[in-house]
Amino acid sequence: MNALEIHGLSAGYGGQPIVRDIRLTVGTGEIVALLGANGAGKTTTLRAASGVLRHSGKLHLDGQDISGVSAARRVALGLAHVPQGRGTFVDFSVEENLRLGAYSVTSAQRIQDDTAYWFGVFPRLKERRAQLAGSLSGGEQQMLAIARAMMTRPKVLMCDEPSLGLAPAVTADLFVLLRDLAADRGTGILIVEQNAHLTLEIAARAYVLEHGEIAIEGSAATLSRNSEIQRAYLGIEA
Amino acid sequence: MTLILQQLVEGLASGTIYAALAVALVMIHRATRIVNFAQGEMATFCVYLAWQMTVWGLPLYVALAIAAVLSFILGAAVFRLAIRPILSAPPEAIVVSCIGLFIGFQAMSLWLWGSDNLQFPRLFSNTIWTIADVRISANTAGMLVTLALLAGLLAAMFRFTRIGLAMRAAAAEREKSPYVGIEVETMLTLGWGLAAVFGFIAAVLAAPSLFLSPTMMLSVIIYALAAATLGGWDSPAGAIVGGLVVGVAETLGTTLVKAIGAELRLAIPFLLITLILFVRPQGLFGRSGTTRV
Amino acid sequence: MRRPTLRPALLGLAAFAALACVPAVLPGFMVFQASIALTYAIAILGLNLLMGFNGQVSLAQGVFFAIGGYVVAILMVDYAVPVWLALAAAVAGNAILGALVGIPALRLQGLQLAILTLVLAALVPPLVMRFDKITKGTSGISIDKPEPPAWLPLDQDSFVYFLCLAGAGLCVLVMSQLIHGETGRMLRAVRDNPVIAESFGVHVARTRIATFATSAAFGGFAGGLFALVNAFVSPDSFQLFKSFEFLAGAIIGGITSMTGAFIGAVIVVFLPEWSSHISLAMAGLIYGGTLVVMMLVAREGVAGLIGKTLSRAGAASLSMASQTKPHPKPETRTMVLAEKE
Repeated sequence: MNALEIHGLSAGYGGQPIVRDIRLTVGTGEIVALLGANGAGKTTTLRAASGVLRHSGKLHLDGQDISGVSAARRVALGLAHVPQGRGTFVDFSVEENLRLGAYSVTSAQRIQDDTAYWFGVFPRLKERRAQLAGSLSGGEQQMLAIARAMMTRPKVLMCDEPSLGLAPAVTADLFVLLRDLAADRGTGILIVEQNAHLTLEIAARAYVLEHGEIAIEGSAATLSRNSEIQRAYLGIEA
Repeated sequence: MTLILQQLVEGLASGTIYAALAVALVMIHRATRIVNFAQGEMATFCVYLAWQMTVWGLPLYVALAIAAVLSFILGAAVFRLAIRPILSAPPEAIVVSCIGLFIGFQAMSLWLWGSDNLQFPRLFSNTIWTIADVRISANTAGMLVTLALLAGLLAAMFRFTRIGLAMRAAAAEREKSPYVGIEVETMLTLGWGLAAVFGFIAAVLAAPSLFLSPTMMLSVIIYALAAATLGGWDSPAGAIVGGLVVGVAETLGTTLVKAIGAELRLAIPFLLITLILFVRPQGLFGRSGTTRV
Repeated sequence: MRRPTLRPALLGLAAFAALACVPAVLPGFMVFQASIALTYAIAILGLNLLMGFNGQVSLAQGVFFAIGGYVVAILMVDYAVPVWLALAAAVAGNAILGALVGIPALRLQGLQLAILTLVLAALVPPLVMRFDKITKGTSGISIDKPEPPAWLPLDQDSFVYFLCLAGAGLCVLVMSQLIHGETGRMLRAVRDNPVIAESFGVHVARTRIATFATSAAFGGFAGGLFALVNAFVSPDSFQLFKSFEFLAGAIIGGITSMTGAFIGAVIVVFLPEWSSHISLAMAGLIYGGTLVVMMLVAREGVAGLIGKTLSRAGAASLSMASQTKPHPKPETRTMVLAEKE
């Protein structure tokens, strides 16, 4: 069974559809890339999937139909979303960000354990636990955003352009982290990226969006090899 | 000197009333960017409810507790029914709604209880202590303690509880909050309810000295607006300090400045607002950049 | 299918003619109220100018209204100044005052100005009391209503009504001069894009102050006429509530519509009256409730609502200017990418 299944999802702003009939799946522990040119509808797809944008179509999380469920409820059920840009609450401390991430977690013990765990993974965040998230560096904020999203121990994590504005070395660290999350914790990960090249290295499969529709899907290996596709859709000169 | 100290004490007493109402205004503004100037009229209505219950024979503190709960429900209901549907409308539309609420609640109090001034029971004993020639009544002390207690509770709630954190998040980051599972509208509703309770407390503190009437809070809201502007429209702590400052400035100003006197006491909040807006527009505790509209 | 070929001027003239029939059709008391509504409409027109073009929500219109009222009353009663001169003084005085208030107001943001003017409006009755040597305090000032000239077969109330109607007509003319043509283009440029307007040589600050002054002058004129209609001024007439009424009237009517100013004025003058006919005890409740409900169904104002329904018949052609509302939030994606490039 797939961790996340999306069928016939359409969504847009002000009645104007941006994405149409999206169909994609993310398996347990699988990393899936959602690629496409600027304005192809990648962010819109994620926003619709997480429920902050009204949409039609069906979504199943771990087999459970979540199509009619509110955004907040989807988080509680295990669909996490790190939105584009700063996914942190900038006026709140690092610790408070983690508490916010755990908003739908009821067990105090689990919150405590997970906070300790993520502080272990990111010692920088532990050092800055009382600092406002807005005062962190871009890389630290992105780490915090992911830790925050992981506080619910989600089944699927969706990341919107996690590498945006980060230095190459930091991006590399981040991608290693994502790969470990999928491998060690079985979290299904859906990554939207401009940086197709790097993403295809950690992803198992990929979808390419064009003008709001899925134009190509296939294994990451196939896509990386096909220079035709790379030139036409991903802006990579082979 | 004694006179000044005495006025200071009196000022702090009325300051608690302004502070409590200002906290209500700031909480609502912080969460929904609305200045609810019907807050005072809503509060007056709830004090009437409490008064009615005491007339029916309930003990004062029981009546107050029930009325506080009713205030919460009223505030939440007003948000759900009148404000939430137009939250994305131009700000002017919300202003008219607040005017409507203002007129409506005042009229409701007038219709149910008439325009006569009613005696509202004192909350604290009549004891008066004299410390270095300055008379401090148990009432004044009681009001200050009440305010301090409430402020502490509110701060603790915002800081340490899950719901308080979520309310702050919903207010500060309406867009991002759903990503962590916070139902923003529920939080805003709770915020309006809680604000109504603070408004109610302000009105309860005011009622014994101002006498209960449908227009009791009319001038109090002016002072509360000054207090919130002084403290900064996004800072409950600022609202409390602002309220106390406005209270003290009022009593000192009216006794010490002949040109103002008792008749023009409303000039004090006006002068304070003018001063702060041109010296530090974001307020004493406000951060610049958050005063956007 | 009828095309919107009717000129707005013709429509305005027709409306004016219809309003001129009011004294002949309505009973005396309603003529009095209709006169009050006309004075409100003038004040609201001024407020529309401020809100529609400076984007500033002001509760000071009641203040200018009060000053206009007192200037006319004091000049006529204490100094025996003729009516027209007293009205002119009210207009000029408020224009100057408006400009003086407008200068600091430039620096204030929406909420701040709204609060400051709200407190200022609340300060009017105490100020009147404080300077009771001039204003006669609570006892107020009674004014003799202007007598109709002998050759006019009109009673006093109808004459005052026509005076107000003429005043309102004048204001509408002034207003259309302001909002159409070159001046209107300048005002809109200042509102929509002050930076670009400045670069084209428009003096933004001066324009804004002038808008404030004009708006205040309208308020003062309205207050002066009100004093004549009411034949009496006292602090009671100028409570904070008056400013609320103007603001509500302006927004209910629709802040970018001249027709809306009249609709709004009629609503805030007659709605409390009508609701007291339904139930005296619950009048305020009905009034307040109606305002809330009105915003739920017609957030852009009644004129906007009517305009939308009747736009094909050309009724919307009286509307001031298409309200350009920028989209609340541009797509974040493009913004972020633009920064990167």
